[in-house]
Amino acid sequence: MSDLPDATRQGPKPTERLETAEVVRPSRWRAIWDADLAWSFRHSPVAMVAAFVTLALVLAAIFAPLVATTNPFDPSSLNLMNGFSAPGVPNAFTGETFWLGTDDQGRDVYSTILYGLRISLFVGFMAVLFALVLGVTLGLLAGYLGGWTETVIMRVADVQLTFPSILVALLIFGIARGIIPIEYRDQMAIWVLILAIGLSDWVQFARVVRGATLVEKNKEYVQAARLIGRSSGAIMLRHILPNVLSPVLVIATISLALAIIAEATLSFLGVGAPPTQPSLGTLIRIGQDFLFSGEWWILFFPACTLLALALSVNLLGDWLRDALNPRLK
Amino acid sequence: MLAFIIRRVFQSVIVLLAVGLVAFSMFRFVGDPIENLLGQERTVQDVERLRETLGLNDPFPVQYARFLGRAVQGDFGISYRQSRPVAQIIAERAPATLELAFVSGFLALTVGIGLGVFTAIRRDGWAANVIMSASLIGVSLPTFLIGILLIYVFGVQLRWLPTFGRGEVVQLGWWSTGFLTQSGLKSLILPAITLGLFQMTLIMRLVRSEMLEVLRQDYIRFARARGLAAKSVNFRHALKNTMVPVITVTGLQLGAIIAFAIITETVFQWPGVGLLFINAVQFVDIPVMAAYLMLISVMFVMINLLVDILYVWVDPRLRIDGRHA
Amino acid sequence: MKTVIAAVLLAAALPAGAAELRFATTADPNTLDPHAGNSSPVFSMLGNVYEGLVRRGRDMSIEPALATAWEPIGDGEGWRFTLREGVTFHGGEAFTAEDVLFSYERASAPEADTASWFAGVDRVKVVDPLTVEFHTERPNPIFPDSIANWMMMDAGWAAENGAERPDIERGNFATLNTNGTGPYRVTERQPGLRTVLDSFDGWWGDDRGNVTRAVHTPVQNAATAVAALLSGELDLIDPVPLQDIDRLRAAEGVDVIQGIEARIIMLGFPHDAEGLLAGGEGNPFTDPRVRAAVAHAIDVPAIVQTVMRGAAEPATQLIGAGLRGYSEGVTAPAYDPDRARALLAEAGHPDGFAFSLRCPNDRYLNDEAVCTAISTMLSQVGLQPVLETMPVANYWPALRADDHDMYLLGWSPGTFDAEHPLRFLAATPDEAQKLGSWNFGGYSDARVDELLPLIQSEIDEPARQAMIDEVVRIMAEDTAYVPLYVEPLVWGLRDGVEVVQRPDNFLNLRWIRMPG
Repeated sequence: MSDLPDATRQGPKPTERLETAEVVRPSRWRAIWDADLAWSFRHSPVAMVAAFVTLALVLAAIFAPLVATTNPFDPSSLNLMNGFSAPGVPNAFTGETFWLGTDDQGRDVYSTILYGLRISLFVGFMAVLFALVLGVTLGLLAGYLGGWTETVIMRVADVQLTFPSILVALLIFGIARGIIPIEYRDQMAIWVLILAIGLSDWVQFARVVRGATLVEKNKEYVQAARLIGRSSGAIMLRHILPNVLSPVLVIATISLALAIIAEATLSFLGVGAPPTQPSLGTLIRIGQDFLFSGEWWILFFPACTLLALALSVNLLGDWLRDALNPRLK
Repeated sequence: MLAFIIRRVFQSVIVLLAVGLVAFSMFRFVGDPIENLLGQERTVQDVERLRETLGLNDPFPVQYARFLGRAVQGDFGISYRQSRPVAQIIAERAPATLELAFVSGFLALTVGIGLGVFTAIRRDGWAANVIMSASLIGVSLPTFLIGILLIYVFGVQLRWLPTFGRGEVVQLGWWSTGFLTQSGLKSLILPAITLGLFQMTLIMRLVRSEMLEVLRQDYIRFARARGLAAKSVNFRHALKNTMVPVITVTGLQLGAIIAFAIITETVFQWPGVGLLFINAVQFVDIPVMAAYLMLISVMFVMINLLVDILYVWVDPRLRIDGRHA
Repeated sequence: MKTVIAAVLLAAALPAGAAELRFATTADPNTLDPHAGNSSPVFSMLGNVYEGLVRRGRDMSIEPALATAWEPIGDGEGWRFTLREGVTFHGGEAFTAEDVLFSYERASAPEADTASWFAGVDRVKVVDPLTVEFHTERPNPIFPDSIANWMMMDAGWAAENGAERPDIERGNFATLNTNGTGPYRVTERQPGLRTVLDSFDGWWGDDRGNVTRAVHTPVQNAATAVAALLSGELDLIDPVPLQDIDRLRAAEGVDVIQGIEARIIMLGFPHDAEGLLAGGEGNPFTDPRVRAAVAHAIDVPAIVQTVMRGAAEPATQLIGAGLRGYSEGVTAPAYDPDRARALLAEAGHPDGFAFSLRCPNDRYLNDEAVCTAISTMLSQVGLQPVLETMPVANYWPALRADDHDMYLLGWSPGTFDAEHPLRFLAATPDEAQKLGSWNFGGYSDARVDELLPLIQSEIDEPARQAMIDEVVRIMAEDTAYVPLYVEPLVWGLRDGVEVVQRPDNFLNLRWIRMPG
């Protein structure tokens, strides 16, 4: 849905070193971790709170079957007559009480949030991973090889930018429906979402990596590696990649939050997670129907969860950007 | 430089052609327009006849070639939904989207730069930290939810602002503007905030980090050491130097604002091209979808071209590579 | 005209008691040509502008409009209509029998979307300027009922503007402009955005309220429409999301009017499929016990109570109570999960089986939520439904391509008669005979096919009803479909606005009275 700034200009320009890769990589990362990152983390209360919230939510999602009171994805446990129970108020028909209320299908909102969080985080992680791998690979190739490779990749990126993710999602849904057997379709929706969001997201990785690569490849250490006869692949992987990773990491963090939100938006447009296994975004889309009718809890609790998650991840991204930028020390 | 521009323009044309081809290959996955064009009492013969007249039986490359042939002459076909020339419909709807994009872009730019400068200068102040964190709320909720919440608070509860539409518009030639009436201006506020919030956050963060970077550069330190007033240093020297990245990002974001006004326009029933597009998707109005996508790609391609030219012009390091690009 | 001052001047110029109605519906009519569109939004809007020979009254009964009387010719050879005298079109032209003939030719042309209404009509004869005869191949007792939406257009006006035939693909003058005989004229038309109707002073009738100007805006997002009604920017919205009914009732300044639409929501089965999309052995749905098990597994009252907020009525057959040909004495299968499990075991599926359940998510009220609930209920008796919801643009093509197992379908009988759903949903699909065109599952029963033509041409009411009863009974015993509920019809109004709500969900402006 969004297009982050071309970080060629905002990304850090790592210190130039001439050591060979074998020495550079482990020591460099450990050095940063030991010295800069950890120090910066210990001195940023915001980052610590954000990390705590993120970790708590991720753990809650992973261990949802243990912490949830019911399994909302198991139809045999549901009773439609429990629908629209207010938080903490016994249901008029069944007498059951739900501390965060129930939704229109009689699902316990608390448990549904935990299970929905699982799906949202999974979709978010996988979509970002997909975009990252695709974008970084293409960006490296474009930046390092230049020439026609670069032209084709960057123009394909232009084509990609043109297509609203909704259309990409519709396309992928359409094709998937045609070729995937029905017994896999339940899971299909999730993978389609991952593909649709990932596909509309790789461009920014590619652009940033290409920009950073353009700058890196003219530096002495790369020239030196080339002179001693290293292959292009090795140079890209072992020399350039580590040096362009920090902006990628920052974008990945922010993309994760955006991917989770994008999933909610796609759901709003009718192509989201299956309603029998709602994600956090689908819960919000369903919940917003009840904004005017007084059943506020169906929207409120999932929205707060999404807000907490996205906010923490964004704050972590923020902190990471500053911490990884040596010139802001 | 000239050779670079010529080559890029040539590539841009190829990009446009590719966009069209991809677009036409995917339309059949959006649905079947016939379903919406004929009522429930239609017969198989009706369907076949209409399919033939609309050329839907042809393979998509043929449909695409036909579209291109006409588009070159400025004819984008007839909308299935409205039975009117697509070019005319888009011309009618464009002012609404452009005015909304302009206002939200302006909002994002002014507020974003202002807050960005503030948070950079007061880097460790509590106000700056609060603004930095609070601004993230705007990008941590889906746009449609923000829109609906704004409607609920300012439209329904407080009744300060209209909940949908453009209000009264004044016709200036073929351009309809909402800038000249009170209701038109009021109608702009909520959608503009909804649409611009994301960009505002982005610009604010960008300005802040650029400012932080510039502020610790030597010439700023010298300026300070020479005893120049803080205001003068901050604005005349520092801010000026952050403008190039801000302008380029804003340029790219302007494209994004127009292209992704779809959600905002749906929530606020804003009569622009975004709403037109989402209606077209629902109705499988292929001519409208095709024209819209082509228009958006022209815009993106042009903005990308300008940004790249700007980069080459600004950053000499990239100039060498520009020759190969 | 567009500035505030001009609007004030205009308001001052209106006669006393005149009122402006601002209303919103989900869909904009896609054309203003009454013969180029065959959908509810088109007829709802144009019913205020154009008129037919007959029209439906407040209670859906057929009453005189541009014809004052009609009678069968001979022994079911056709129908003779006597036209109203002194009727003029908005453009001032007189309405004559020639216009009826022209409108027949126009509406039954292959380019028109309304041709199916005249499938059995051999020829139309102008007897004199005020008498027209329709000769039919077979006796057709419901012919007057089936042409209530057939609207009269002026022959001269159409010829003058090059609109002698409707043009769905490219549009023509009549797509954007109107010239009817009805109580309102279209004075502004911005497709997809805004349509303005002003009252026509030369209208022949006198049964009208005080709305002199009506402004229509299509608003797709239900929440946006509710917000606009609450904030006083709209006077009427259709529909109100079911969950907002109570809120609007309680809110100051607005009210809700609620009725039952003619649309039945039902589940369809893959009767003629060799196998299921999910694979497995054969097609268990060919066994009537399996279909009956599905019917017993679904707790319709619970769906009506929660998902539909108590606003819908459980259905027993393919039309709603009160419509012509409704079959009394049929009851819906009771919710009985144990019986459903027993039936499945009896049919050899004690552990259930997997199948696809297809649903649209933007077509009917709360369609996705209903299907989610159904999916849960079917799972609870041991079946393994795979729910797939999709926008309607993808939904119909999937059903048409036989890419479905079980599916959700809504049906509004265009003629408000029991014969209509039988023709489209129960008859064995036959393209040449134009039968069963929405019978996606391919339900086929020899007796039903035998009775349908007899029902269509039977003039004697009790005999006709007996045959309809038999068909309804056969379909219930077979569980050909699972009728779920009749869709509710809910409009939101500004306090004091009086409206008439009919099951066809048409908005008749002439029956609306705005508060002084």
